[in-house]
Amino acid sequence: MDLHLFSQFLISGLIMGVLYCLMSMGINFIYGIMKVINWSMGEFFMIGAFIQYLLLESFIGSEYWYIGVIISACAVFVLGALVQVILIKPMFVGIIEAKMEYVTIITIALAIFLRNLALLIGGPYIYTPPDYAKPTQLLTLPLSGNRLVAFIGALVLLGLFYFFIKKSWTGKAFQGVAQNRAGVQTSGVNVLRYDMLAFGLGTALAGAGGALMAPIFSVHPLCGLAPTIRGFEIIVIAGLGSIPGILVAGLLLGFAESLGSAFISPSFVDIYGFILLVIVLSIKPYGMFGKAERTV
Amino acid sequence: MNNKNKILEMDNVVKIFGGLKANNGVSFEVEKGEIRGLIGPNGSGKTTLINQITGIYDATEGHIRYKGKKINGLQPDVIAAMGIMRTFQVARVFLNMTVLENMLIPAFTQGQSNNEANTRAEELLDFALLSRLKNKPTKSLSGGQFMLLQIVRGFMRKGLELYVMDEPFAGVHQSIKGIIIKSIKMMNQDKNVTFLIVSHEMATISSLCSKVTVLDKGARIAEGSMKEVANIPEVIDAYLGG
Repeated sequence: MDLHLFSQFLISGLIMGVLYCLMSMGINFIYGIMKVINWSMGEFFMIGAFIQYLLLESFIGSEYWYIGVIISACAVFVLGALVQVILIKPMFVGIIEAKMEYVTIITIALAIFLRNLALLIGGPYIYTPPDYAKPTQLLTLPLSGNRLVAFIGALVLLGLFYFFIKKSWTGKAFQGVAQNRAGVQTSGVNVLRYDMLAFGLGTALAGAGGALMAPIFSVHPLCGLAPTIRGFEIIVIAGLGSIPGILVAGLLLGFAESLGSAFISPSFVDIYGFILLVIVLSIKPYGMFGKAERTV
Repeated sequence: MNNKNKILEMDNVVKIFGGLKANNGVSFEVEKGEIRGLIGPNGSGKTTLINQITGIYDATEGHIRYKGKKINGLQPDVIAAMGIMRTFQVARVFLNMTVLENMLIPAFTQGQSNNEANTRAEELLDFALLSRLKNKPTKSLSGGQFMLLQIVRGFMRKGLELYVMDEPFAGVHQSIKGIIIKSIKMMNQDKNVTFLIVSHEMATISSLCSKVTVLDKGARIAEGSMKEVANIPEVIDAYLGG
């Protein structure tokens, strides 16, 4: 294989890796704040993709796709926050035993419900939104315009999210909630409100991912499934709770899939991530950046 | 200083966990400006009681009133906003933030300006001899410094009126203990902050508190100066298992 082709696969891996990170970041953020795994992330991704498709086809036109991404993310934020308030918050008020188990069941049920609702409304069809950008070239390498703009969009979103968490006061309060819930609550932070915001923001990241990747993965009731599986793979590889870990693991997964497709076969693209996961776990059982257990 | 204003009233507080009665009809009052000690053997229900004052648990029966207003059943952040701060026996600090950021969290929730909050935080850190560590990650501190940081963090809240402390002196070095005592006295004298302090350190409580309340088996068994309660047979029994 020549260097030209190899670098093309590397770039493809890089782009997909960053896109997957968006999903992982959302799952990880919700877990960090609420210690809850949201199994319906893929469905919020799918809803983001559907909203984007509707916006582009019926309202704003394909040239304003980036505005569509923002609107889709905001709409999914509102939906996520509502889901938290109506379905998940009741588990967090008062002392309820095994609340995580209840919440897990709720999010799984929600995933099945939303998937079937999409099937009911949109039917079992695959919708493809118009391209966001024409095929382009990076130096001598041909590049899909859709992937390039989705990559840039994902980088911008991840950057904004990172800046928000690390630099803003609200971000610091989120860190406080993640690090010591009772400590932050007795300092005056309304943790139930932050739970709602966290669920909204986490699902909004998935929704934005869905909107950004709509032309790449197409839009259908199950379109969130593959990115969700990737999202969870990344989290397991990185170790739950590590933001830099997610970026590294996301890129590794992207490279593994891209190079696996190139050197072995593109038919097994869904398997390479799992192979990577098994290798990492057999060497580092808590993930690359994970710790043995949470501290109080 | 004792203007006879009741800041905190416990009215027949009962807390039941399954089959365990952790508090069994506790009643006492704390006056504004007091430094009150809350003592009792292990398992006497001291921490359960302050968990109810600060909203971690709701009382099963009875009422807790703060400045005449019922507070049991409110969320901890609502109670904090009313001017009640607390510390935990195992310091609840934010390990992955810097020391200064830890200090700023209570200020942020009140919407204090950056300038105001930073100045106050620096003053308090200076007082606690933690200034040189202010930009260090909190996890690099010692156990005693965790406790100290947790305590001075509570002083960041403007309008702090009642400070409830759970074992603030347990397992900390003498020099840090000295700073904690100094800070309690300072906030009590300068800002008229009322303290309710759970501790097993009798000598410290005796020198700090004019009045102590003694709990045993979930109930109040005595109240008065340390000297007075030390001579009450029930108290001696409770401590010596008589």
